[in-house]
Amino acid sequence: MTRRLVLLGGLIYGLLLFGLLTLKGGLIALAVPLVIYLGASLFYDPGKLQLSATRILSSECVLPGKPVVVKLAITNHGSQLEEVRVEDGLPPSLERVEGEAQVLTTLKADETIELEYTLRGKRGSYSFGDVQVTANDALGLFRRRGRISAAAHLLILPEVQRLRPVAIRPPRTRDFPGPIPARQGGPGVNFFGVREYQLGDPLRWINWRVVARHTESLYTNVFEQERIADVGLILDARQQNDVLSPDGALFDHSVRATASLADVFLGAGNRVGLLIYGSGMTRTFPGYGKVQRDRIMRALARAKTGFNYALESLEYLPTRFFPARSQIVMVSPLLPEDLRVLVRLKACGYQVMVISPDPIDFEAKSLAPHRTFQLATRIARAERKLLLCELQRVGIQIVDWQVAQPLDRVIRVSLGRLPQRHELRMVP
Amino acid sequence: MTARLLPITIGLAAIILAVAYAVGGVWKVSPILLAMGALWWVGQKRHWNLFAPVALVGFVVAAAVGLWMSLPAGWMLAGVVAALSAWDLDYFARRLGSVERVEMRPALERLHLRRLVSVDGLGLLLAGMALVVQYKLSFDVVLVLGLVAVLGLSQMVSYLRRESD
Repeated sequence: MTRRLVLLGGLIYGLLLFGLLTLKGGLIALAVPLVIYLGASLFYDPGKLQLSATRILSSECVLPGKPVVVKLAITNHGSQLEEVRVEDGLPPSLERVEGEAQVLTTLKADETIELEYTLRGKRGSYSFGDVQVTANDALGLFRRRGRISAAAHLLILPEVQRLRPVAIRPPRTRDFPGPIPARQGGPGVNFFGVREYQLGDPLRWINWRVVARHTESLYTNVFEQERIADVGLILDARQQNDVLSPDGALFDHSVRATASLADVFLGAGNRVGLLIYGSGMTRTFPGYGKVQRDRIMRALARAKTGFNYALESLEYLPTRFFPARSQIVMVSPLLPEDLRVLVRLKACGYQVMVISPDPIDFEAKSLAPHRTFQLATRIARAERKLLLCELQRVGIQIVDWQVAQPLDRVIRVSLGRLPQRHELRMVP
Repeated sequence: MTARLLPITIGLAAIILAVAYAVGGVWKVSPILLAMGALWWVGQKRHWNLFAPVALVGFVVAAAVGLWMSLPAGWMLAGVVAALSAWDLDYFARRLGSVERVEMRPALERLHLRRLVSVDGLGLLLAGMALVVQYKLSFDVVLVLGLVAVLGLSQMVSYLRRESD
């Protein structure tokens, strides 16, 4: 019941009672236009809404910042609606850059009204819900509200930064040729060792310097095989590890780094899997190629930080998800208690690399330059440095990433080229 | 069209009632009614949404008091109809202004004005007839009619409450 209806009813009642009390017919006559107004509104009451809606997105999966055109068509299957207001609620965090999401119109039977607008947004998974429809008679006294389902889903993928190939050296590789040194002699490019000459070996592979020293036999160069590897990406989505600042969340940088790493590892032909460890564990099982890239990007688009008492620490990291002795790349700002778990992973035979967005540097930028904050920052930096040193000491590769710097450059500086083994060895 | 008609109806409501009071010799009320009309117009311009219902109540009360004071009934009736139209147009203008896009605006306005004019015309006609045609009724009949009217209205309001959101 609208406030206007209450007001009109009150005035009619008031005039009738005043007329009766004063025994003045004229006062009752004054209520007649109001009663006619009320009656006309009641007569043209819109009745039950019979509407349907269809929503079409220009693309259901886009890159951040790319515009998406939303087309919404509402059809009236009932009788004419004299005045109808259609309002489409947008998911939060999406910005409308063009067009209208509201319209007021009149809809005849079987007529369709269309809304078209353009959206833009940040990485995420967005669901479009119901459309709110309000219909009333021309005088606007009686109102009918309804919600029409027009579900659609929009996925905004994370931004991918092009990286140069990242040098990894897992203990075990797969059987197919690829770019990763396999620690096995065979056909390849890089020198691996020498072995005694066998019939069929090309003459240009004979190592004449070794033969000069050991004249009893001929020796042939052996090269290191290059194969593809299993790479397991772990994205740390624990809420307690995230830092929020006016510029955004540190987690978004982690997601961007994970997307870029997935892109570069898959581009090199490796088998890549993803585990998002946060409020739950979201797994993307290992796979190759563009399809896997698409799967990982979709998983990363949906990634959110969350809190779960059971997954507060990395203790429950499902190591079985990653093939034995494979490469694990973890993207995490790191907590002091993560040290034990990472050391254990390394001890299990995995080659572990940690890309660690620096939470202290990220947070310090948003703090006022106060002496107390500066002191606190120094202490926190020292603690972090200690943690990273301890990890490096057990053979874990560390990339300490201040997110303002390009990831590619930081990886290049931190990892550089892996040491090549040029010592002479005898291959059986 | 609505934007042009709204100040006209507000002005009509205020002027008709002010003139009626002036003709009846109650000069002091006329400036108050004119001021109320002016305030309504300003309130509408400045989006004071609460002022329209207050002004409608003010004009209807002024008309009722005027009739009770035996001022010209036709003027009072015309004032009420003009105030009702102004109140309706005020809300219609706000509805049009509250959305980002109004599709088929001329058709919407035409439909609304046609409905309003017919309601006003019918209301004036029936109320005018009620003012002109007078029967002497006994107190008992008046009491019964009054009770029927009040009960009928109560039933209608409860029905509307059920039906409306």
